Amino acid sequence: MSSSSDAPSTPTSSTATETLAARADHAVKIYGSGDTEVHALRGVSVDFKAGEFTAIMGPSGSGKSTLMHCMAGLDRLSGGEAYIGGVALSTLNDKQLTLIRREKVGFIFQSFNLVPTLNIRENVTLPMDLGGNKIDDAWVDEVITTVGLADRVKHRPNELSGGQQQRVAVARALATRPDIVFGDEPTGNLDSKTSAEILDFMRTAVKELGQTIVMVTHDPVTASYSDRVLFLADGQIVQEMIDPTPDSVYDTIRNLGD
Amino acid sequence: MLKLVRRGITANLGRLVLTLISVVLGVAFVSGSFVLADSLRSVFNQISEDAFAGVDAQVRAVEPEINSGETLLRFDQSVLEGIRQLPEVEYAEGGLFAFEQTYSIGDDGEVIRPQGPPVFTSSWGGPSPVSSFTLLEGTAPQGQQVALDSGQATTGGFEVGDLVTISLPIGEPEQFELSGIIDFGQGGTGGAYFLLYDLPTTQRIIDAAGVIDSIVVNGVDSVAERDLLASIDNMLPEDIEVVSGDTVIGEQQDSFGSFIDIFGNILLGFAVVVLFVSTFIIYNTFAILVGQRTRQLGLLRSIGASGTQIRIMVLLESVIIGLIASVVGLFGGLGVAWLLKKLFSSGGNSFPEGPLQILPRTIVVVVFVGLFVTVASALLPAIRASRVSPLEAVRDGGQKERSMRFRLIAGGVVLLPGLLLLALGMFGSIDSTASRLGAIGIGAALTFIGVSMLSALFAGPVAATLGTPVQLFKGVTGRLARDNASRNPQRTAATATALMIGLALITGVGVLTASLLATFDDLLEDALTADLFVYEENQGLSFSAVVVDQLRALPETDLVAGSADVEVLLNDEVTNVVAFDTDTGTDVVNYGIVEGSANITEGGIAVLDTAAGDRGLALGDTVSVQFEDGFVTDLEIQAIYDDNTVVERSWLINRRLSAQHVQLDQVDFVGVTFPEGTDVPAGRLAAETVTGNFPQLTVQDNSEFQEEVQGQVSQLQIVTTGLLVMCLIVAFFGIVNTMALSVLERTREIGLLRAVGMTRRQLRTAVRWEAVIVSVFGSLLGVGMGLLLGWAAVVAIPDSFISTTAVPWGQLVIYVVIGAVIGVIAAYFPARRAARLNVLDAISHA
Repeated sequence: MSSSSDAPSTPTSSTATETLAARADHAVKIYGSGDTEVHALRGVSVDFKAGEFTAIMGPSGSGKSTLMHCMAGLDRLSGGEAYIGGVALSTLNDKQLTLIRREKVGFIFQSFNLVPTLNIRENVTLPMDLGGNKIDDAWVDEVITTVGLADRVKHRPNELSGGQQQRVAVARALATRPDIVFGDEPTGNLDSKTSAEILDFMRTAVKELGQTIVMVTHDPVTASYSDRVLFLADGQIVQEMIDPTPDSVYDTIRNLGD
Repeated sequence: MLKLVRRGITANLGRLVLTLISVVLGVAFVSGSFVLADSLRSVFNQISEDAFAGVDAQVRAVEPEINSGETLLRFDQSVLEGIRQLPEVEYAEGGLFAFEQTYSIGDDGEVIRPQGPPVFTSSWGGPSPVSSFTLLEGTAPQGQQVALDSGQATTGGFEVGDLVTISLPIGEPEQFELSGIIDFGQGGTGGAYFLLYDLPTTQRIIDAAGVIDSIVVNGVDSVAERDLLASIDNMLPEDIEVVSGDTVIGEQQDSFGSFIDIFGNILLGFAVVVLFVSTFIIYNTFAILVGQRTRQLGLLRSIGASGTQIRIMVLLESVIIGLIASVVGLFGGLGVAWLLKKLFSSGGNSFPEGPLQILPRTIVVVVFVGLFVTVASALLPAIRASRVSPLEAVRDGGQKERSMRFRLIAGGVVLLPGLLLLALGMFGSIDSTASRLGAIGIGAALTFIGVSMLSALFAGPVAATLGTPVQLFKGVTGRLARDNASRNPQRTAATATALMIGLALITGVGVLTASLLATFDDLLEDALTADLFVYEENQGLSFSAVVVDQLRALPETDLVAGSADVEVLLNDEVTNVVAFDTDTGTDVVNYGIVEGSANITEGGIAVLDTAAGDRGLALGDTVSVQFEDGFVTDLEIQAIYDDNTVVERSWLINRRLSAQHVQLDQVDFVGVTFPEGTDVPAGRLAAETVTGNFPQLTVQDNSEFQEEVQGQVSQLQIVTTGLLVMCLIVAFFGIVNTMALSVLERTREIGLLRAVGMTRRQLRTAVRWEAVIVSVFGSLLGVGMGLLLGWAAVVAIPDSFISTTAVPWGQLVIYVVIGAVIGVIAAYFPARRAARLNVLDAISHA
């Protein structure tokens, strides 16, 4: 299966007919100034096609988390542009950015994903509650059932296992039918069996619901669930791999390390 | 949104309850002030209404511009006969009323009188319903008979038919048969005592033959009130008027009302101080809550909550807290009112009984104040919460500290005008003492806020320094206590600030009192040259000037000087002047003659140096003086004096002059000297043979008198400090809250410490000492600020009142110790909670 392409330094651009969920255009991010200046992103351009499951990998400090935060509208770029569904994020004020996050983007974090004072269902519907939108109960029920927590909707997060909590986070991310879901090491805190469950579910969401997902990970096995893997180093995309396997990802990482 | 707010409150219930307490205390004080004042007002209103309920009209002398007495002016009783003959009049009765003139005497020979409320001597005003009095038992007094109110009769153990010895304003005490027990109006006397006689007896014993001061009139039923008033008015001489019963009731209520207003406003002042302290606690709690929830707020932001929504969320929390606190505080006010009553009664004062009143106004004000204070205090934390970056959701570690430079600038911006106002109040060229103290008050509030902002800058190092001895004595637990106290300077500062304000005010009062005492010591030493002092022991009320003559007649006495307070028109202004037996010069009372001679003649007057300066008057100038009987004379300034500690007015005249022109020849103070070489105790025995006939009088020698004055000042300090203790209680809950929150925040760390072998006891010790360090820091700040404020106030108050600055060092040490103790107690529950944490749970705590 492994068919790693020969490392083009820029990602393959898709055919014009395919819809883009998100896009980065020469994204630059600089932290600090003067002596302490850190270039976290050095001109990254990348497309995220609708219905595609992308993993971003790279050593710590490579800029993978920064790229994701800026793509998701959590942080702002120093240069270049990030687009979600064709909207340039740098042109938005805080309020508009908040609306984008609420309506177009879903999040799954490594930990502390849920509001401890709300029950499971309330956590899932929280983004819609915040927007004052009418809640599509059928869809919410379907999502909660899909993640297998239909019988726990009234429970509080601290009554669930780590894997179950993460499934709630996934459900919340999907419940708003966002253009794109970002995951920041979504299975980083879980054992391999639970990880597999969550990743299977994410794959299902992509395949069957056409959801777009971008996740950051440093685990080759996790990355192998995705459609393609972007490798970052020193704030630039150094390689791209389609249909990854754990072994091919692992090999690539080792080669990059050389 | 609302769900989040509600759940947020339920989840943080414990700490919010603590916040609640601090709001509740402040609100309860406001509510209590209103409730108490309203209740008093309602009692007195009811008394006034009851007393005149059956009266259609009252005839009385037209109130002149000047009137030294507390009662109505008297007029010839012949007017009464004329009124009785009017066809419109059904019934008319003359009345004579006097304030503090006769007293019943108990078995022990002491005067029976309430502490606080006055004693009234009055004629029995005729049969009910015209009379203000209701007979509970027995009959109306006639001839050598008296009727007493039930309170007095119970205290004295008198029963109808008993012979009661009564002290009279003139001459020896006499015995009267108790004819009946009465009540004023329908319900109680508000604590006051009444002695009632028939009109001729009343006229005789208070030396008012043939005169009355009022006539109560009931019209014939068919006559309209307006016609009744008009027909009476027609026959009255110019200086006598008639008013309706309702007018009298209104006047009575107003005169009580103004006293109650002053009382209520003083209480409200304290309530405002307590609320001010509360704002620091509320701010602190919300700041900590926001800080703790930074991650959660970041999560909410990342999934689409806008900054505004977060801000509204935090503010909604504060609205709910404020509402609950207001309602609880409203009812807590009943408790506070009850406590205040106890506090004021503790000095032996009786307080009028009556149901506690919660008026709609109280509810509105209290709820508004509670809400406003809570929401305003939560505003800054709410704004800070709305600025939390969504990235906080994925970031590790605690909240970001705001830059110290901002704090320095903001603190300075507040502190500087505060200090300037203090300086203005102290040294500015403002004449009015009230404005000076006002400047100091506002300056103090700003200084408190400024210092509390800036104190974060040095809280770290100071806490570390304070903690060093703890570390030396307590080893590693001490070390932890010290580090924890100094590692979050903002929190240490905010917690300490609440304690600081309470202690600063208490210290300020202490400095003021000590300075006042020191000033008195200096002045009284010089001023009080007399060997004996005679005055009315409870209120400093006036008594018959006969005492002066009788003391003078004693062979044992050398000089006897009486002093009275007289109201006159001085250069057309209503002015109180002291009338003094100036023939004794300054040998009995030395009021510091600067210029001229102390032997003021009947054609002369002495003036206080500052008053002379204000008016540009000098020795030899004349002022015009009109007495209450209408007599006008020009008086020449014969002396200028500079000490108004004993002579409490700006003007002083010869008492022989005033005695001829006032209705009652009375004095409120007598000084006596003995000839050189006389044994004071022996002389005192002689003097007491005279004063024995006036049981309300007390005789004191020089040192007793000074102690008495000091005792009164100390009593004032106790009451003031008692009220300010509320601030300490609020601060106490602030420390409990902060300690509880920081324990919670460090759950993981505590788990780690326990895992590596710290015992529960060690953990408790560390938490307790942390609280002690924080509270001692606050106490030191408070005592320091208090010294500054006390000094500022002493400087601002005119030298004629307080001239010496004194510092009660002993008290200050006690205050710091109290601060430390507050810390220990406040840490009790948080420390226990920390010690009880399950090690494994604590370590895995997110």
